[in-house]
Amino acid sequence: MWERIVEEAPAFFTYYNMIFLLQALLATFLLSAIGCLVGFGGGFTLAVIRRTESWTLLPFRISGVVFTEIFRRTPFLVTLMMVFFIFQIANIDISLFTVAVISVCFIATAFIAEIIRGGFDSVHRTQWDTAEAMNMTLLQTLRYVIVPQAWKIILPPVFSFFILFIKDTALASQIGVVELTYAGKVLNNKGFSAALVFGSILVLYFALSYPLARFGALMERKLAPTGNR
Amino acid sequence: MSYTLQFGQVTDYIPYLIGGAWISLQIAFLAFCGGMIIGTLGAMAKTFGGRIVSGLTNAYVAFFMNTPQLVQIFFIYFALPDAGILLTSYEAVLIGMTLNAGAYLTEIQRAGFQSVHRNEMEAAETLGMSLLQRVRYVVLPHIARVLFPPLSNQYILMTLGTSMAAIFGVEELTGRAFNINAETFRSIEVFSITAIIYIALTLCATFMLGLFGRYLFRAKMRLL
Repeated sequence: MWERIVEEAPAFFTYYNMIFLLQALLATFLLSAIGCLVGFGGGFTLAVIRRTESWTLLPFRISGVVFTEIFRRTPFLVTLMMVFFIFQIANIDISLFTVAVISVCFIATAFIAEIIRGGFDSVHRTQWDTAEAMNMTLLQTLRYVIVPQAWKIILPPVFSFFILFIKDTALASQIGVVELTYAGKVLNNKGFSAALVFGSILVLYFALSYPLARFGALMERKLAPTGNR
Repeated sequence: MSYTLQFGQVTDYIPYLIGGAWISLQIAFLAFCGGMIIGTLGAMAKTFGGRIVSGLTNAYVAFFMNTPQLVQIFFIYFALPDAGILLTSYEAVLIGMTLNAGAYLTEIQRAGFQSVHRNEMEAAETLGMSLLQRVRYVVLPHIARVLFPPLSNQYILMTLGTSMAAIFGVEELTGRAFNINAETFRSIEVFSITAIIYIALTLCATFMLGLFGRYLFRAKMRLL
């Protein structure tokens, strides 16, 4: 195994292969970054909708719950295939990258909605009641009372979800999105040994994810709850 | 968009899919049990081990938590044969998932191990308990209640993670869905039924783990 790796290394670590791998790394990063940003917006909206109390919005609340439960309990691979085939059948011509981004958005919306709901719940019940007693609307309550306190609870798990998705988007290689894992498969098919190719891919993923994970851990320590809840 | 859903062709395959779900559950359960053993040992190594042992454990955890499970299994399945280790796809997936779960479960259990009060450990040591006895009789009973919810959550995530095995040709739920899709071309129908089975599986698991945790460990858990 080692002799083969040493033998192939000069042919593998060429300029164009490296450019190819770095572009793929960028695609992996963008896939999860775009997905999580959109998912944050969607998740926030869902969490706010679940906090409403009027009867007219009941259908929205129910569909919000159904949406989160469906996407949190379906594997990413299955969601990806569903989105992929729905676009195929609807005859809409979009790139595979967009298909993957849309799937990530759905799943991120569902998971982040749950995280944000947990963050809202972490603010003590009395503060919600007080805000209501002061005749604040739901949006005002969120803007002036809840979010300033809850963001410290919400941000660290959202960030670790983002890191989780950097790794989970490896599955997007299955529909042919050119991200890091797919790049590995291409290079492996070109004849480089699997140990060399997938070893490098693992190292690249590690190099992307580890600093972000350390940053997340640091953020979590810095934002530790102050205890006035 | 002119597409008529036709579930008729696919409904015949539902028993076949449920058979696949059974294999998914098997993989998840075996990998979780293996992961628990690695996780407990890892948490012990991180808490009680010397600098070298805990350093090695940290490296293992950092590596497996920061690389995708899919690529880890790719490595095990495609690269290890070069070194003379031939594994079937089922074995490769199982080993990959176990090692991956081991890292996550180490990290979950470490938090619990550290929450046990120092005095209690010292008291147990004074009573002449060995390390294993201390873990078995002092640490685990303490942390079971706190750790049960995150552990059951991890189990649910792992059940979903087994869909990855399909890529290596293991015929579990998603793998069988791919097979049916290739035979009937009824993609939407096949994958929506698959999704429903996954949702049912994880809902059952959440409910049962919730009951189990509430009455056995008095953990604070939502049932649904």
